[in-house]
Amino acid sequence: MEGEAVIQELIDVLRTLLFPGFLFFVILGLFFEWIDRKFYAKLQNRVGPLYTGPWGLLQPLADFVKLMAKEDIVPEGAIKPIFSSVPVFALALSLFAALFLPVCGPQGIVSFPGDVIVLAVVLTLLVILVFLGGLSPASRYPEVGAERSVLQLLGYEIPLVASILGATAMTVGLGGSLSIEGIVNAQRDWWSILGFQALGFAIFLLAAQAELERVPFDIPEAETEIVAGWTTEYSGKKLALLRLARDVELAFLCGLGATLFLGGPWPGPLVPGLGGAIVSTIIFVIKSIVVLLLLTVIRAAMSRLRIDQMVNFAWKYLVPLSIFQLLLAVVVAPLMIHLLTL
Amino acid sequence: MSNIVDVPVGPQHPALKEPLNITCYVDGEQVVGAKLRIGYNHRGIEKAGEYQTFIQNLYIAERICGICGIVHAFDLAQATEHIIGKEIPRRADYLRTIGLELNRIHSHLLWLGVAAHEIGFDTLFMYVWRDREVVMDVIEDFTGNRVTYALVTIGGVRRDLPQEKAEKMLRVMDALEETVKKYKEMCLNEKTIRMRCDGVGVLRKEDAIALCAVGPTIRASGVPFDIRADDPHAAYDEIPFKVVTYDTCDVTARILVRIDETLESINIVREAIKKMPSGPIRARLPRAVPVGEGVGRTEAPRGEVIHYVRSNGTDRPFRWKVRAPTLANLLSIPVMLTSKGDYVVYIADVPITFASIDPCLSCTDRAVKFVDVSSGKSWVWTFSQIKRMYWKDKPCWRERP
Repeated sequence: MEGEAVIQELIDVLRTLLFPGFLFFVILGLFFEWIDRKFYAKLQNRVGPLYTGPWGLLQPLADFVKLMAKEDIVPEGAIKPIFSSVPVFALALSLFAALFLPVCGPQGIVSFPGDVIVLAVVLTLLVILVFLGGLSPASRYPEVGAERSVLQLLGYEIPLVASILGATAMTVGLGGSLSIEGIVNAQRDWWSILGFQALGFAIFLLAAQAELERVPFDIPEAETEIVAGWTTEYSGKKLALLRLARDVELAFLCGLGATLFLGGPWPGPLVPGLGGAIVSTIIFVIKSIVVLLLLTVIRAAMSRLRIDQMVNFAWKYLVPLSIFQLLLAVVVAPLMIHLLTL
Repeated sequence: MSNIVDVPVGPQHPALKEPLNITCYVDGEQVVGAKLRIGYNHRGIEKAGEYQTFIQNLYIAERICGICGIVHAFDLAQATEHIIGKEIPRRADYLRTIGLELNRIHSHLLWLGVAAHEIGFDTLFMYVWRDREVVMDVIEDFTGNRVTYALVTIGGVRRDLPQEKAEKMLRVMDALEETVKKYKEMCLNEKTIRMRCDGVGVLRKEDAIALCAVGPTIRASGVPFDIRADDPHAAYDEIPFKVVTYDTCDVTARILVRIDETLESINIVREAIKKMPSGPIRARLPRAVPVGEGVGRTEAPRGEVIHYVRSNGTDRPFRWKVRAPTLANLLSIPVMLTSKGDYVVYIADVPITFASIDPCLSCTDRAVKFVDVSSGKSWVWTFSQIKRMYWKDKPCWRERP
């Protein structure tokens, strides 16, 4: 009995560390960065990464290793404990969030009722980290970047949370639940995006783009305006970790989009046994890549907005739309389902 | 108002490819004032010119600017021919015009890409630069070089344009016209571009005139000022073209002026090829230039370029002075970057506003200011004062009567 418990414990640890936990998401993050760069390049009539590994697949890894080997400079006036810990926390938080995703089954490694709320909190915490990372080096460009990131958060946080909550409406017919598992299981036969959630998905895409600080919302790290924004003073290992954190966050948000709106790993879990896990994983990754490609298209098709324009846009259109879709999802959809089943 | 921070943009900054310092006084995200500082890139080209012959100087002049190189060579040749006072063959005038206009097309397309990059629209940047390669190929076909053409020489041009090359050039111009029209559509209709450029970097007509802006910058403020039309040189007197102006005075107007000018340039190239007379392409002029002063001016892609040359009767210039258009346009930058009443400038507008004059600092930096480092005092010396103090014992520089 005791032996079994130990083995179970060991499996859990391995699941967390290797698959579908940290290592999987680090690799997935690097892979997604490659897809993003390659597809972005294709859209721009370029070739993108080409030389490192087959089709340049290893380029993100090579960049990471190179940055790890570079000199790590800490500015003199920086608040050193905060400055140094931000990259670590950013990576840790992104990886933590990724544990909730249902990669190889309808359930993530961590799953409990209400974990959707935790994810929303983690997404906000990541921005708080950006703010700290921008303020701690006591330098002008990062400071401007930090201010912008918080202003931007004011714009997209409500739509992001509303679109995530809207996805939970799918579970209403099944007794209601605020957990990822509940949302995933509710989409077994009918993906949310096919119903009232299409609008929610669009809002989620825009908000995710803002969370990831990509064009048109790359305002906090706008290269031509404020050098590298809040990351300006980071170098060497810290920058490598920040970039890796960004990659993992990218993979996480794509995965979250796939989970909430595209039915997560379904219909993978229908296959029995180990095959189910493998098929689920493949389906989950493919769906995430679809979300990623959509994000990349947005990135390629627009120019950067100004911070005031971004906040204006968010409060004029995104917030009302997201509240509308929340109403649609929580009130109208269940009503219609109720009427149809009568 | 108490919380004003100065944010330095440059001399090293990703938005600026060349060294220049703009200190922006920033209140939150708003720019309340700006101060310029140039002088990081003084290369001593004018001085170097005094040691070389006129012919050699053409090639130095070409290297004043990597983008509008032919303009400087053309201006210097024009100034030298002005001193000598001989006409050059008409065909050479036409070939020079074609060179100048091809140069303008490539420069304006290059600028459009840079502007797109400044507002974070990298896709447009990549596409425009891809299509600009077409013009670069035509230029290479015509002159033998992509960047420094070495086309102009004193008394004419160095390469002729044979019939088959001219026909090829016309075909390329047709294709290019389509592309440029497509980009115009895109710039007019793409929402995010308009959001970033409309009402940004406003330079009112009065300010533009008062600050002596030149080129597309002043034409986008509604002033039809173009040296090609105002003081026709080369073959511009025989080729009809429109001076493009817009009167919204903002960055969008500058984008549209440049795109429309590209279309005009394509037409000028076509006209020039059609009307080009046959005949020699070069007149043999004396190596030693007689005593005198000459001025060459033309409309570079960025605005009016003036070269002043003074000869003391040898084969080397006694003094050579270059005024690049960026120097004239720089003065309007602080005006564009100062919030005033309803007109609000954000930090995000700084790069595109600055880029909208198409700055080229390596062309510009030739001003020298005398500063006593210990006391911080600065002053100006006149030409004759410098001569009196330092040139007494240098007979080679002495001016002949």
